[in-house]
Amino acid sequence: MNILNNLFQFDQPDSIGTKLQLRAFEFFAVIYTLIYTWEWAFYIPRLSDVVLPLGLANYMDISIFFSNSISIYNAVLITLFTLIPLLFKRVRWFYAFAFLLFHLQHVARFSQGEIPHSANLVGFSLMGLALAAIFFKGMKKELTFAFGFALFFMGLGYTSAAISKLIATGITWVDGYHLWLWMGEKSIDILSLQGEFQYNWLQELSFNSRFLATLILSFGLLTELLGFTVWFKKFRPYIIIMLIGMHVGIDLTMNIFFKTFTIQLIIMGFFWNRYINRIPEVEKWEKNWFVRRVLLY
Amino acid sequence: MESFKKHKKILLWTLILNIVLVATHLGEFWPFSIFPMFSQAGKEWSRGVVEQVSDSSRADLWDTKPITKIEDRILPLKDYGIHEIDFANFITKTEVWNEKRLNGMRSTFQIDQYPGEMWLATRVRGFMNGQDSVVIEAIPMFLFTADTTIKNPHLFPQQR
Repeated sequence: MNILNNLFQFDQPDSIGTKLQLRAFEFFAVIYTLIYTWEWAFYIPRLSDVVLPLGLANYMDISIFFSNSISIYNAVLITLFTLIPLLFKRVRWFYAFAFLLFHLQHVARFSQGEIPHSANLVGFSLMGLALAAIFFKGMKKELTFAFGFALFFMGLGYTSAAISKLIATGITWVDGYHLWLWMGEKSIDILSLQGEFQYNWLQELSFNSRFLATLILSFGLLTELLGFTVWFKKFRPYIIIMLIGMHVGIDLTMNIFFKTFTIQLIIMGFFWNRYINRIPEVEKWEKNWFVRRVLLY
Repeated sequence: MESFKKHKKILLWTLILNIVLVATHLGEFWPFSIFPMFSQAGKEWSRGVVEQVSDSSRADLWDTKPITKIEDRILPLKDYGIHEIDFANFITKTEVWNEKRLNGMRSTFQIDQYPGEMWLATRVRGFMNGQDSVVIEAIPMFLFTADTTIKNPHLFPQQR
């Protein structure tokens, strides 16, 4: 089983289905880059002090982003450096600048002690698009590389998360008592955010049954551990369904919904190209100007 | 079948860069990460809430108390554009509360814009009680008004 073939080989690479799925991946990466970029751009000026330097902030004074409009100008640049290659399909290496500036926006925003991972997969997607633009010529080659690149780091990330748990805590990580503690912790975050909080049915059930709480954590750990199987086409849709189930479980028990991850799992984890190609008279879509010029390549 | 030699090379070099960066930066160099969230299970945790105070001369104002005693008067941070996790990190990870840090918190709150308001920045601690239940207690830290900051005299006895 060759991992590279599984990551980068597409059935009918010139079909409308493959083109649509690859472009959906690219549109998703750019749209979410911009959502995060602008969300952070208006928050960063309120910050005043670096609590925890991350990434390049270890080597530069990231507080230059605070109390002024640099984050807004940075957002404008990121917008240009992503929309131009996305929509005009030219100067694709602009993605490399966008990635670098997005990194700075991220480390400026998250200099306050929190280390979230919600934007990591978007970051890998943008990084994949940037590397593809530098090392490959032609949209087809670029997009298949970027897609496979993001899939590789998606699988690695989940499995790495499971290994981190096994190293830091061991197999007893799955003990339901730990879920109780985390549910209490997250309840305080929601209370702080909204001024009120009530446990839902699954949280109540988990507090009443240590066995159920243990079962929930066991499913989560096993699913993460198997994350690397997204590298293989044969297992991909099944592990993606398990991962989506895990994210729904995390939302219900700990009130953390990884929306971006879940959308990206859906876009990348299923063989949409095959399903689209089965639609009767799908080739006629290409006659539509918007589909041909904007959505496809 | 394509050989994907170039793909392999780029993937390998990126993976090496990933390993080097996370190994030398405590597991995080965005977007590279070892994804350690929730890896340390069973440990006591600390978060933060802001209590809305109507009477600052209240006898139990500075006492540590169960969260249930104050949960009906928690300031909803979303209504004030304050990120709850940033606030929690700020109040739990700061080791030395010097003037700069306190002013940093005031600036995050922008309390100067809310005359008449009294906000009690509170650290919240959670731990297992003999493995029977989760105990959550609130520890008042600082009382902010539009023009003053008062430290908890039990925690900062000489700096009131």
